[in-house]
Amino acid sequence: MSDDHPSIRVSVGASGGRGGEPNRPIEPDLATTPAFAPPIDIHDGPEGLTLEADLPGATEETLLVQLEDNVLSLRARIDSPAPEGARLIHQEYHVGDHQRSFILSDEVDRDRITAELKNGVLKVFLPRADRAKARRIEIKS
Amino acid sequence: MRGSTWPGGWDPFEELQREMGRLFQSFDPFPSPRHVRLFPPINLYVAGDEYVLSAQLPGMAPEEVELTVTHETLTLRGERKRTEGVKDDAYRRQERVMGRWSRTINLPDRIDESRVTAHFANGVLTARLPRAESAKPRHIIVSSSS
Repeated sequence: MSDDHPSIRVSVGASGGRGGEPNRPIEPDLATTPAFAPPIDIHDGPEGLTLEADLPGATEETLLVQLEDNVLSLRARIDSPAPEGARLIHQEYHVGDHQRSFILSDEVDRDRITAELKNGVLKVFLPRADRAKARRIEIKS
Repeated sequence: MRGSTWPGGWDPFEELQREMGRLFQSFDPFPSPRHVRLFPPINLYVAGDEYVLSAQLPGMAPEEVELTVTHETLTLRGERKRTEGVKDDAYRRQERVMGRWSRTINLPDRIDESRVTAHFANGVLTARLPRAESAKPRHIIVSSSS
């Protein structure tokens, strides 16, 4: 099933991802880790779509951007910013992971998707597939 | 998570509720304070003799955030700019809060302004706000006149 579109992991950041696995798994323990959908913007450009997601607290090591079939998903593991033993006295946001998924259309060229993370904002570039090339059909004589 | 058993922590009903909330919110000419999304959202902690403030400021650079502390009042100010060169009609979705923002909060005690430290990383500002000496409880010796 997934042979046609194998799962692709997009490395994030200018360095193209660091070697070695992160110390702790990004895949969360679902029973204990709350996750919240981050706000996003999507805008159109001549080359394709750009998706921007607010992921405060996310780092290259804690963020996973994954493409499986036609579903692009983001998951960032967020640790509490509070020092040990601190007591919360006022709360306006929930401390938890960021998670959101998107269904991509066939217009997106999956092999050329790139992503970068800066100051807690993830930018994913979804290039438009070159349809002119895709439509050319060779005719055998 | 409200007993959700969906894989990946995804709850389609929560998503629906959120989308519906957003839809109705856009028709509401008098949004209640509950609907107003604060930017940046702030959490405040107490740790020993200091307060620790944490603010979510994604997309901001440290030099773009102005932080001032006077007595027990803390103010954060800045501007969040849209990606340059993108026209309004190019947006298919706009959920992120943009533009000028400012937040002022009153802390429960006086702060020693000279010892305030702030650290900004990955879009999260963390400020350590030590309580002023004068705000700490003091024992006053009661003497009798005899």
